[in-house]
Amino acid sequence: MTQQITNHQTKINLLFDNMEKVMVGKREAIELTIVALLAQGHVLLEDVPGVGKTMLVRALARSVDLDFKRVQFTPDLLPSDVTGVSVYNQKEMNFEFRPGPIMGNIVLADEINRTSPKTQSALLESMEESHITVDGVTMELKNPFFVMATQNPIEYEGTYPLPEAQLDRFLIKLNMGYPAKQEEMMMLDRTVNEHPIDSITPVMTREELIEQQQLTQNLYVSESVKKYIVELVSNTRKNPLIELGASPRASIALMKAAQAYAFIQERDYVIPDDVKYMAPHVLSHRLLLTSEAKFEGKTPKYVLDDLIKKTMIPIDRG
Amino acid sequence: MRLKEQDHHYFINILLYVGSMLLLMEWIYPLDQVTDTGQTYAFFTYVLLCFMITSMHKLPTWLASAFKFLGLMFLVHYLFYETRFFSFEWIQSLLIDLQMNLSAIVSQNWMNLTPVFRTLLFLILLWMMSYLLYYWFVVAKRPFAFILFTFIYITVLDTFTVYDSEVAIVRVFVISLAILGLANLNRVLSREQLKLPHARTMFKWVSPIVFVILFSAVMGYAAPKLEPQWPDPVPFLQGAAENGFGNGNGSGVGVNRVGYGENDERLGGGFIMDNSTVFYATTNTSQYWKVETKDIYTGHGWVNSDNDQMISQPNGSIPDMSQYGDVVERVDISSELRFVEPGNLNKIPYLYGTENISANEVVDDLNYRFNLDNGVLESLVDHEATLLDSGYEIAGRKPDFPINSMKEVPSSSEEVPKETYLQLPESLPDRVGELAEDIIADVDDNRYDQAKAIEEYFSDEGFVYETSDVAVPSDDEDYVDQFLFDTQRGYCDNFSTAMVVMLRSLDIPARWAKGFTGGDRAYNQDVFPDAGANVYEIQNNNAHSWVEVYFDDIGWVPFEPTVGFQNQADFATGESIEDILDRNEEDYLEAPDANVPDEESNDSQSNDEETEDDEVAGTGSNFWTNLSNQMTWFNWLIVTVIVGLSIWLINSYRDQIIAHLKKQKLKRKHDADTISGSYQYILKLLAKEGYVLQEGQTLREFADDIDRFLGSREMSKLTNIYERFVYRGEDLETKHDEVYGLWNQLIQRLLSNRT
Repeated sequence: MTQQITNHQTKINLLFDNMEKVMVGKREAIELTIVALLAQGHVLLEDVPGVGKTMLVRALARSVDLDFKRVQFTPDLLPSDVTGVSVYNQKEMNFEFRPGPIMGNIVLADEINRTSPKTQSALLESMEESHITVDGVTMELKNPFFVMATQNPIEYEGTYPLPEAQLDRFLIKLNMGYPAKQEEMMMLDRTVNEHPIDSITPVMTREELIEQQQLTQNLYVSESVKKYIVELVSNTRKNPLIELGASPRASIALMKAAQAYAFIQERDYVIPDDVKYMAPHVLSHRLLLTSEAKFEGKTPKYVLDDLIKKTMIPIDRG
Repeated sequence: MRLKEQDHHYFINILLYVGSMLLLMEWIYPLDQVTDTGQTYAFFTYVLLCFMITSMHKLPTWLASAFKFLGLMFLVHYLFYETRFFSFEWIQSLLIDLQMNLSAIVSQNWMNLTPVFRTLLFLILLWMMSYLLYYWFVVAKRPFAFILFTFIYITVLDTFTVYDSEVAIVRVFVISLAILGLANLNRVLSREQLKLPHARTMFKWVSPIVFVILFSAVMGYAAPKLEPQWPDPVPFLQGAAENGFGNGNGSGVGVNRVGYGENDERLGGGFIMDNSTVFYATTNTSQYWKVETKDIYTGHGWVNSDNDQMISQPNGSIPDMSQYGDVVERVDISSELRFVEPGNLNKIPYLYGTENISANEVVDDLNYRFNLDNGVLESLVDHEATLLDSGYEIAGRKPDFPINSMKEVPSSSEEVPKETYLQLPESLPDRVGELAEDIIADVDDNRYDQAKAIEEYFSDEGFVYETSDVAVPSDDEDYVDQFLFDTQRGYCDNFSTAMVVMLRSLDIPARWAKGFTGGDRAYNQDVFPDAGANVYEIQNNNAHSWVEVYFDDIGWVPFEPTVGFQNQADFATGESIEDILDRNEEDYLEAPDANVPDEESNDSQSNDEETEDDEVAGTGSNFWTNLSNQMTWFNWLIVTVIVGLSIWLINSYRDQIIAHLKKQKLKRKHDADTISGSYQYILKLLAKEGYVLQEGQTLREFADDIDRFLGSREMSKLTNIYERFVYRGEDLETKHDEVYGLWNQLIQRLLSNRT
């Protein structure tokens, strides 16, 4: 097990390097993206336009040599535009399924909050269930299947914000933020001749990725770490500043994320540090603060940090 | 406990340990002088052995202990037993001895502890010290407390006892500075995780230390010193110890030197020998040199009654000095005496039968005075009692006491020269008189036989002559009663006083005489160049006391109750030479009266005995006896201080001690519980230092903080291993050695970081 992890580590490092060529100074975002990928979860990217959301997904897709699809969510987009549609073939005299963008390995759902809830849920349900049903025919989605949805936090007019229940389906919510001046300079340098995205080559095969995902899934989690996860999640439900705490699904998500994080740290077991690091990224979008807390200007991240600081970490067995 | 291999500073540790050994030896040096501990070289040997074994780091603990035990047994055997070491007879007697002593301890009968047992305890103490000092100096690297105690010890001894620490204090100073320098170097090296630097860097380190030591030692030694700024807090101790002609046989507290003393109000306590010469005298036999007698027994000692009848005589002819009845035959004697170191002695010692005294030089206003009551003979110059350095010549007729006539004197008679010769204190316990009655129960009813029976009682009953381990009665104890019934050991004062008191309880008039025994023939002297072999040297060692019994029509007759001494007066048996020759040799030897004084044996015998006693006495018996008797408050103070210090030490070294115990456990046991327990202990220790594992802080984060604080990496390494145990379910057993190493380094770092 440890040996396998070490073997894969080289690949993971190459993946990091590859993506960093495109995404200068966004190590954390890259890391979290890879964590979500390994944990077979999905990512919600919330940020202003132009900071490289799309570039991140494209870099990932190219590096792993996966099928990349993109959907631009607009108000008039229909569920069938996402899932695909059956078209009558007059020549063949039958209905022929034209697969939608969801039938790719990596799907970029751009500006997901601009489309109607109907279309949104078509995507989100398929994310959860890994298959779609069109005209009574059930079709398996590709494996691996990784959705990265983006939303713009600035323009709220004419948008349909994702309900809490739907947010829960994303493993991680991340913010890119602007690059530092130094990093932006470096970005300009790299883009002078050609865009770096065009020069990167795949460093990992699909099969290798699947194997890594399986290893991650089987990574050892001790009783005391599980206890810590449950303690942390249940604390979100008791906190007076939080209206709605994290669900049991959040516990599972946190464990998966911690496993993936331990994996990229080249460790075959999870330690509380992994959980602690992942908790804000996994839990913050699943909490609903009370109006008082919001009024005081507290963010879910702030409340979570405080809560993590106060949760006792088990330091002995069992 | 052994020196650790992973310690890079093995060399420094060895030096530190040697330093601690030298300091410990400074504690043993004075024992020779302030207590009657003999053969201190044996203790030095044992200290050396223990320290050598402890510093051998390859030796397993059990083997080291076995060696130390063997050494201990060997020394005990060497000091106290004459059988072969492998005979095991002596072990049996040692075990019996131990049993006796343990029961003595249980019954708090401290006086009955034997020298063997005390020596054994002392050796065990030294054994323990070899561990303790190792811990202080090498493991904890905190030598200061012991250094401080050593200084206190040395200075206290210097102030209150005979011990002169003029050189010792310089030695201790130099050793201590060297130790402190080395300890500091050691601590810096281990804190900074440095190896022992190269020679050149070493020189930079060492040269200031050496310079400071040499400079301050030389300066301190050469600089002028103030005289003592306050009077000695215990002058009577000091006086007794320093003055060669001190209270001698008289009132002693602590350790006295033997010699002629004035004050006999409080008798008891041991003394040490003093072989300085008081005077030389020309006589042909060894005879008592009488100085005075005393008549009032107080229960603790002797004083004189007031009514003094004096005879003053400028020409020195005082026939009344020896008033003997007509039945006493007399032989002409003369003697010349010359003083060498008379000390406080200002009375003239004289022989029994002296009637005439004259000075060897012509002195104006010279007058002689004789006190008929207490027998003091003085030469007065300007009405001041003065001993003339040029000496005196005495002449007279030596009495030959007729035993037959003495036997005719009834035991108690009406004729008593003075009432005080029958005086007894009211506090005298009845059992003394009862004992006297018992002794004479089967004896003929005449004064001589009864006196003789009491004189012989002491040697018959196995009373022991002892100069060092002699008790001092407390205020409510009687001196004679204690000697007769409790201790049964003592020197001339005990024996002579006891005899006088017992005689008086039988209504026999008796008094206490003191002076000197006849001394030894002096072959190498230049005081009397022409006298040949008939010169006797009388030393302070010869100071003595005996008994005088009054016989009607005969006078005062000396008796010698002290075990190991012989009566130096002459007695006439009333038998002819033929009668004597007829009797077989055995009888002749046993007959107490047919005592022809043996010039050679008298004092050499007593001296031999004293020397033997010294050797048997073991550890400070006299010291303890005195402590328990007279200085109980001081004793308690010491006990309180020691207990207080122990508590303070244990408290301040509690963590070190617990850490050491944990270390030993971790070394022995390889199970997960022990190992994780050791890790938890570090967390506890850190919490004590103020580094508490916060809620919500992971072990890894905590370990990083600690390593940053300690400048180490051990905590992170150790935490990694522990994490694998807790969060991965791995076994710790395989990691034991690694854990042990890291744990040790961390603990040392933590404990050494405290100061």
